[in-house]
Amino acid sequence: MSQFDTLLFDKDGALGHISLNRPRVLNAYNVQMRDDFSEALAAVQDDPDVRALLISGQGRAFCAGADLSEFGTAPSQVVARRVRWDRDVWGQLLGLRVPVVVAIHGYCIGSGLEIALLGDLRIAAQGTTFAMPEVQLGMVPAAGGSQTLPRNANPSEALELLLTGRRFDAEEALRLRLVTRVVPDEDLLEVAHKAAHDMASLDRDVVAAAKSAMSRGPELTLEDALQMETRLAVQSLQDQPP
Amino acid sequence: MVEVLYRLLEFREEHPVATLTLANAGSGNRIDAVLAAELREACRAVMDDEDIHLLILTGSGEVFSVGRETKQEDSAPGLDWMVQLQVASTLAALPIPILVAVNGDALDHGLELALAGDLRVAASNARLGLTDLSRGVLPWDGGTQRLPRLVGQAWARDMILTSRVIDAHQALALGLVNRVVEADRLMAEVRQLADTILMGGPIAARYAKEALRKGMDLSLGQGLGLEADLNVILQSTADRAEGIQSFLQKRQPKFTGR
Repeated sequence: MSQFDTLLFDKDGALGHISLNRPRVLNAYNVQMRDDFSEALAAVQDDPDVRALLISGQGRAFCAGADLSEFGTAPSQVVARRVRWDRDVWGQLLGLRVPVVVAIHGYCIGSGLEIALLGDLRIAAQGTTFAMPEVQLGMVPAAGGSQTLPRNANPSEALELLLTGRRFDAEEALRLRLVTRVVPDEDLLEVAHKAAHDMASLDRDVVAAAKSAMSRGPELTLEDALQMETRLAVQSLQDQPP
Repeated sequence: MVEVLYRLLEFREEHPVATLTLANAGSGNRIDAVLAAELREACRAVMDDEDIHLLILTGSGEVFSVGRETKQEDSAPGLDWMVQLQVASTLAALPIPILVAVNGDALDHGLELALAGDLRVAASNARLGLTDLSRGVLPWDGGTQRLPRLVGQAWARDMILTSRVIDAHQALALGLVNRVVEADRLMAEVRQLADTILMGGPIAARYAKEALRKGMDLSLGQGLGLEADLNVILQSTADRAEGIQSFLQKRQPKFTGR
């Protein structure tokens, strides 16, 4: 197990597991966590043995949002804007070839929900509380939420969540299509672990191709997207051992 | 409070809220050339007034808006006639949150207008549908585009191709409206929703809408870039600093829109 200040990173065979680990502040996302997360994601991407990634949180919450006590400490707009892309941790997460399962419990607020929405499969514990409070605090989401929410929930429902910042529970997250499974709190890790483990047994290249097809497809015309799918499928057949 | 009198539209400004009420009562609030022109004019006025942070759109009487203006016998069918009546895109272009109080039936052009808003709250007795095809007409104020983007292709095709009219509760299940309440509680519910939104940062609310609306026309990568840029612009606002301070000091923020 590799140790970072703000998260636990563990590899069990083909399954990588990142667990956010600032439990005293409900895993509030800060600059150190960004850097640790970035390093751990690079390790996952570079490790040919890892075939699936599980992301979860230590303690009472998955992630209660960004650590606002650090906000406003960026030296200038110019630097802040450059750093967003120098350490593009969200791009790294989106660009992972392996499937990402996110196990959500306790609080999943702001950046917490945005991180979850950058994964592939979201499973929530029944008792989870969700919210997107940024606009109520004079901000907008900064980890892709303004883009990923309306690509999962419908755009009007997504905008309502952003504008009102209201809290909602796991059942509503399921209805809004922000998560696809809701399980009893005590079963969460076992269910998420099994889902990730099952995906880790799949052909690595085929899974990567499926992720790629579903990410890129919506940005193409249907005709172009179907051609892409055919190319990816032919490639995966040719790559199979005889 | 300022009330601007139009012939078929009531336009009330109570900063930071503006309310537009369709008042073409004799014809079920049908959007004719006069009402369409007045709606576009009112949208321009709202656009020019930076102190309006939220728009409420509703209908007077028992219906929101039903039916579609039909061609006059003596006029040749054409683009000019259609453009005169189109209003949804002007409404949708407003940068502020738009709440639509669907106080009764929203059919055909009426539903297309409602679709151009951001959040819809419907009275429980309201019915919604695009029935144009049953009369041999195509919806032409955004219905074929905005409906599937909101409720998905399956339901949009069902509704448009079968001219099916659904009730408010079905509309809620599809995500076509955000909330359903009894008719006599509708405006109270909409005002409460407005008050909640107005507690947030007004610039942030505009940018959240912009990021979401524009982002849906972009690739995910481009959308993330837009979101990041809007974040950097927001860093220069007093409201963002106030939001962070209020959170750290555990008090309600006081936003100034600056």
